[in-house]
Amino acid sequence: MVLEREILPYMQWLLQGADDSWGTLPHFLLVVLGCGLLALGVGYCISAARHGFLHGGDNVYRVVAQGFRELSEISPRRVWALARLAIKEAWQRRVVVALVVFGIILLFAAWFLKTDNQDPAKLYISFVLTAATYLILGISLLLGAFSLPHDFKTKTIYTIVTKPVRSGELILGRILGFSIVGTLLLLVMAVCSYVFVHRSLSHTHRVETGLKHVSNASQEVIGYDGNTSKNAYHRHEVQLDIDKHGAALSNFGHVHAIEPRGDAPQVYPAEGYMRARVPKWGKLRFLDRKGLLKERGISVGSEWSYRSFIDGNSQAAAIWTFNNVSAIATADDPATEIVEDALPFGLIVRVFRTHKGVIDQPISGTIQVRNPETGLRSDAISFFAVDAKVDERTIPRKLTTPDGTEHDLYKDFVSSNGQLEIWVQCLERGQYFGFAKADCYLSLPDGSPGVNFSKVCLSIWVQMVIVISIGVASSAFLSGAVAMLFTVVFILLGFFRDFFVGVARDTQHGGGPVESLVRLVRQDNVMIELDPGPGTSLIEGIDFVLQKFMLSVAQVLPDFSAFSTVDFAASGFDIPANRVWQDLTTCLAYVVGLAVIGYFLLRTREVAK
Amino acid sequence: MSEETVIQTRALSKVYRDFWGRQKVRALKALDLEVHRGEIFGLLGPNGSGKTTTIKLILGLLFPSAGEAVVLGKAATDVGKNERIGYLPEESYLYRFLNAEETLDFYGRLFDMTPETRQERVDTLIKQVGLDKARKRQLQEYSKGMTRRIGLAQALVNNPDLILLDEPTSGLDPIGTREMKDMILRLREEGKTIVMCSHLLADVQDVCDRIAILHQGELKELGRVDQLLTVEDITQIRARGLSEECKNEVSQVIARHSGELLEMANPTTTLEELFLGIVRDSEARPGRRAKVTAPVSNPDNKK
Repeated sequence: MVLEREILPYMQWLLQGADDSWGTLPHFLLVVLGCGLLALGVGYCISAARHGFLHGGDNVYRVVAQGFRELSEISPRRVWALARLAIKEAWQRRVVVALVVFGIILLFAAWFLKTDNQDPAKLYISFVLTAATYLILGISLLLGAFSLPHDFKTKTIYTIVTKPVRSGELILGRILGFSIVGTLLLLVMAVCSYVFVHRSLSHTHRVETGLKHVSNASQEVIGYDGNTSKNAYHRHEVQLDIDKHGAALSNFGHVHAIEPRGDAPQVYPAEGYMRARVPKWGKLRFLDRKGLLKERGISVGSEWSYRSFIDGNSQAAAIWTFNNVSAIATADDPATEIVEDALPFGLIVRVFRTHKGVIDQPISGTIQVRNPETGLRSDAISFFAVDAKVDERTIPRKLTTPDGTEHDLYKDFVSSNGQLEIWVQCLERGQYFGFAKADCYLSLPDGSPGVNFSKVCLSIWVQMVIVISIGVASSAFLSGAVAMLFTVVFILLGFFRDFFVGVARDTQHGGGPVESLVRLVRQDNVMIELDPGPGTSLIEGIDFVLQKFMLSVAQVLPDFSAFSTVDFAASGFDIPANRVWQDLTTCLAYVVGLAVIGYFLLRTREVAK
Repeated sequence: MSEETVIQTRALSKVYRDFWGRQKVRALKALDLEVHRGEIFGLLGPNGSGKTTTIKLILGLLFPSAGEAVVLGKAATDVGKNERIGYLPEESYLYRFLNAEETLDFYGRLFDMTPETRQERVDTLIKQVGLDKARKRQLQEYSKGMTRRIGLAQALVNNPDLILLDEPTSGLDPIGTREMKDMILRLREEGKTIVMCSHLLADVQDVCDRIAILHQGELKELGRVDQLLTVEDITQIRARGLSEECKNEVSQVIARHSGELLEMANPTTTLEELFLGIVRDSEARPGRRAKVTAPVSNPDNKK
């Protein structure tokens, strides 16, 4: 899995943010302040136009004051009553059809999803979870956007708002009710997906006859080698001890245990196709081609700024420094035994070729470990880099240095304060390796795949609640169809938020929206500047205003592409707890913000016509 | 606003506008009204006269273009006033997928009632409006009359001090109409204030203490029903068992005193009274043709 964004510790994310951005809380407060001032301004202008300057101001004051007062009058019993009503309403609107559709998708999925892929689990998990995500978002959209407008249309809202129901309760009740319905649907989909993935990937083999004897130096038979039968488009190499205990070695992302049963060894069902690797990330620095220390590597063009590159066949290197490495080796953990023999780590390389080379042949590189305190560096371990693939390796306990002496990994290469450096270099001239902080990690014991699967569902749930909140809040003011359209636009912009921000900040080729439109119509090249003149000045002027507006809108756009954690589970990585808490906090912020917006939209509109 | 005044409107006006803010219709023009505690107040007028608009402004469903409405001492837009208000809309806008019990339980929850109070209130109201046998049926299976009755029950779920009824007898058969009117009179006896609007004159005449007549958004008449209906320069004589000679003599007496005899005939009852009499007789003697002696219509007897 290629992680494109750094996952910050929760408190840093909340209060400080990354180096070039604000913390989430200050950003949220700023957005609230901006939206509040904008709402006050617009509200006053409309009210003043209708009722005069003084009376308009009085109206705005009363609405705001009443809003604060009603906040303290919110009754959980009323909110729950409205939520129950929303649940019953959703049931009446046959939401359960979504489950039927999901069932049909799973039934036919087996036609298209084959297990001949090198990583079938990734394919299956991404498919079922992506299908569940889109179905849930679709249902949330329909429920959220059409509920209140339907009440307005049938006038059932009359009998609600003539009771002591606050507008905020009406909005919160709807959001809560539909979220409960969506949660139940998601639960069923998640269980079905989990069972589907397991049932589809579960298989076994048999050990083929004709096992070869493995002997030691004294010609004594110490075990057997062989192959399994070909099932599910693959076969495994088999290694057994003299008692025919052993394993079918890793292939297609899984292994099988083998135990003796009668004369023939029995192959057990596949293990490890669903994993939750727990990475321990370090701090990344770079050396440039002259061997000078840099914070970042070089840019190879239009690349995401999170990742930078090192030149091949030069002194350029990516250096990760890991803390508390001794603690990993001495931890009271079942995996300690493995860690004591060798230090497992993972490496993901983005390969950038400036010439084709031998296209079938991967680019070669080296890995070294270094003690940051003593400067002791191991011999280079060579490897071949396949672009964006997780390469799981181990650093052996005994390592040699260029002078030929053997050293212990933990005693000699780990500093007294528990630090260890891993150096990665590219060997081929004119080729580049791209790295980000998360691309090299020490492997901690795996987490539970089931729990990881639940975390993905939680991220889908977060998206669902945000979509429901947007739908309900917008439908407090718009008709059902328009509210749905608005929510769809919000979701689409959210999915393409980075591009949207790029256009707003003028970092995308082709200029702002009007300039792009002109280029599109005239079929102009996006790399060539428009001819200077009054027309171009006018276009740039309009674009300037639009881009400022887009930048403001971008501040409240949910980044749906970033919410998805399907890739984590599909690639077999544990979703960090920091990420889960960040998503939940973001969700809470959206619910609160949208509920407040929905309250004022509903409060300031006439219920009757 | 005195303690006895439940609703007060001051120059209450409503102008409906289109999307661009242009005036479409002036539905209500500077209405000044006061409704007192414990009375049945009728808003009377033809279609489009502003009756429903007035009710909606009082309830806060619409915002006034000018003027203000004060209900139970609070501004009409204050949600807090709804604690003591019951509202029966023109059509019973209820959730059709709920049954009677669920409907009343839901509205009870909106008043933040405890489960025990809610249960008790639901039982009482269902019996009161005669839906005991249909309490588990979804409202979509209800007849128009049953829907009106459950609508009334939801309006009474909080035992309100002020009840606003918009066309309460609309769509009801004569029996349903009478039951509704009896219910309204009973509620007044319990000390509740009722504001109803209707264009059915007989209904208003039967139950209202005071009425306001609206036409094209303007208040045309306001006062007690009995006073408004009294024709000052006409004297009505009602008697039973007079002979033709006696009638002639009465005519002569009127002529002698320079009066003009407008009509002397046997009075007719109302169709409503006749219909109700037939139904009562039919229930008392099933399978036989009804024999109804037409009672003399007297509005005083109905109140």
